[in-house]
Amino acid sequence: MRLTYVALVGAPLAAALLAAVVRPYRSWVGTAGALLSTLSLAAGLRLAGQGLGGVPPTWGPSELMRVDALSALLAVCVTFVAALAAWLGPGLGRDEHYTPAQARRYRTFSSLFAFTMLIAVTANNVAVMWVAVEATTIASALLIPLHVSKASVEASWKYILIGSVGIALAFVGTVLGYFDYVHMAGERESALNWTSLMAAAPSMHPRVMALAFVFIVIGYGTKAGLAPMHTWLPDAHAEAPAPLSAMMSGVLLAVALYAIIRWKVVVGLTVGSTLPDRLLLVLGLASLAVAALSLIGQRQYKRLLAYSSIEHTGLMCVGLGLGPLGTFAALLHLVNHAVAKGMMFLLSGRILDRYHTTGMGEVSGLLRAMPVTGGLFAAGMLALAGLPPFGIFFSKFALLRAGFVTGHPWLMAVVLVLLLVAVIAMLAQINRMLYGALPEGIRVGESHRWGLVPLALCVVLLVAFGFGGFGALQSLLDRAVEVISR
Amino acid sequence: MDFAFGQLAVLGSSLVLLCGLTLLWRRGSAAHIGAFAAQSVALAATVGLIAGFTGSRELWIVAALFLGLKGIVMPILLKRMERRFGRPRELDPYVNTATSLVIGGLLVVLAYIVIWPILDVSRLPTRAGMPLAMGLIFVSLFVIISRKKALTQVIGFLALENGIALLAALGTYGIPFIVEVGVFLDALMGFLVMQIVIYRIQETFESIDVEQLNRLSQ
Repeated sequence: MRLTYVALVGAPLAAALLAAVVRPYRSWVGTAGALLSTLSLAAGLRLAGQGLGGVPPTWGPSELMRVDALSALLAVCVTFVAALAAWLGPGLGRDEHYTPAQARRYRTFSSLFAFTMLIAVTANNVAVMWVAVEATTIASALLIPLHVSKASVEASWKYILIGSVGIALAFVGTVLGYFDYVHMAGERESALNWTSLMAAAPSMHPRVMALAFVFIVIGYGTKAGLAPMHTWLPDAHAEAPAPLSAMMSGVLLAVALYAIIRWKVVVGLTVGSTLPDRLLLVLGLASLAVAALSLIGQRQYKRLLAYSSIEHTGLMCVGLGLGPLGTFAALLHLVNHAVAKGMMFLLSGRILDRYHTTGMGEVSGLLRAMPVTGGLFAAGMLALAGLPPFGIFFSKFALLRAGFVTGHPWLMAVVLVLLLVAVIAMLAQINRMLYGALPEGIRVGESHRWGLVPLALCVVLLVAFGFGGFGALQSLLDRAVEVISR
Repeated sequence: MDFAFGQLAVLGSSLVLLCGLTLLWRRGSAAHIGAFAAQSVALAATVGLIAGFTGSRELWIVAALFLGLKGIVMPILLKRMERRFGRPRELDPYVNTATSLVIGGLLVVLAYIVIWPILDVSRLPTRAGMPLAMGLIFVSLFVIISRKKALTQVIGFLALENGIALLAALGTYGIPFIVEVGVFLDALMGFLVMQIVIYRIQETFESIDVEQLNRLSQ
């Protein structure tokens, strides 16, 4: 078990060091990094399989790291998208767009990025979790302007400033939580451990914890892209190189949401679930509204995907505020979204490589130019829109059902309307991209054909999730919900 | 003894907050960097005071780190950035100086309103300074939002971190040491990355006025 954990977090770290040390850059470094990311994924799956029964394993001094079902779920998502980004990212010896220096930078920082996210989701100590989430910003900010341009530098600045300030506010919340704990139970090394906080939560001060939670939600919510703190997100996701966008959208938002979930459980035990639930419902609804309205008339496909990320994060946030049923739906949605968005951003990278533009108006005849890429892109759009047989249909359905069961029919009506607006806005423009005349000078035929295999696998996974496939995922989700709604 | 210690801690916190308010009424990067350096020294002194009173060796190390890193190293790096840009004049902020100061005062009042109800959780003699720390957090946020120059925004962010450190020192005599080290590493790395991005902004835009950063507004 210990060895598995070391493989999980050690592999991306080793990949980062390898890429940083080997000079000049060689393409075998990229291949080795991709293999290591696969090892990390295998370790994540193994931990998830073993974590299904019994006591969650812990490691380190005063149980610093701990993997329960929720951690394992997030770890699998992170390693999956990181592996996709590693196998399809620059630096494997077939790119004309990247210099060796850029490839090295990508390999170093994207692996570090994966490493910090894995630490964040497996830390028992909430302050260590905070340190790791802050480190994700640092690791990814320098990758956004991989191709230096005015737009990418601007996006990078917005990202690091707004992200860091948000995370600093989350630290205020963490300090307030510690403040409350120490004055009740005394100082000790394990005071900031999530398990200790959980044990002490029923007798902590509701006022302090409520205040702490407001800071936590605003802080990590900034990082999760919840409105109105989302302003950095569309720029960062649209300007970053495609594989980084895939990681940021697919799993970074989920990791930030994970931090909120951890605190929500503690605060819920202290102040009752009403206040945290309401706060999450309001922020989730605001995000849905902002995203739906911004999706209308959006002219760039990467920004379209970015706003769709805000929409889906908002939806998960609403789910988390709807009790155990909603939490289950939110986690199922999280898994689906990670796979779908990871795939879509990587596909958008392929389209950008061919058409050299992010404007949807200038991309047409996609199915003729790149039949498989176009087909997968269409499938992904339908999946994100939440049509059957894809998994997102079922997670959305489960979420709405949870809303009705817990007695929020009006709220669910609003959510439904916003979702419909978003779906129509997204699907309205996809036809023009897929069909129509091929612009002059666009080459026909797929390039890097083997790179389509993992992306096609994503579509298969999404359909399988839709058919309720994978009993293991089901029971992992059940265990994770148990962790959350104790 | 306890009383005097508490009073001294509040005095130190007031100095830290005052340096933060200076960011609002002084113009020019040099003054801002000076205010930040002074603030960090005041913070280090306050933490040192708490360390002396409680006899905690770890807090002494933290105080020394504040003094070295935030009181000396970061101001030097900021000065170097400022010199490279060669334009010490601050642009007109979104909010003028008089209004800024009024808002700053209101934010400190707000901090008292927010923190006062939870103060009786603690029996530490230093707790009376906590609203001042929270006030600094709010004021720093306002500096970041209302000022246009990237360098000023970075200084606002560093002041925000000082506010949080002060809050932790006053409320709980610091956070566990291992976490403190992690936070320091993050702060340092974050600062360095911000510095790199600012240099990039300067290269690509030939200015560090973030008002020019409005290409991506849709």
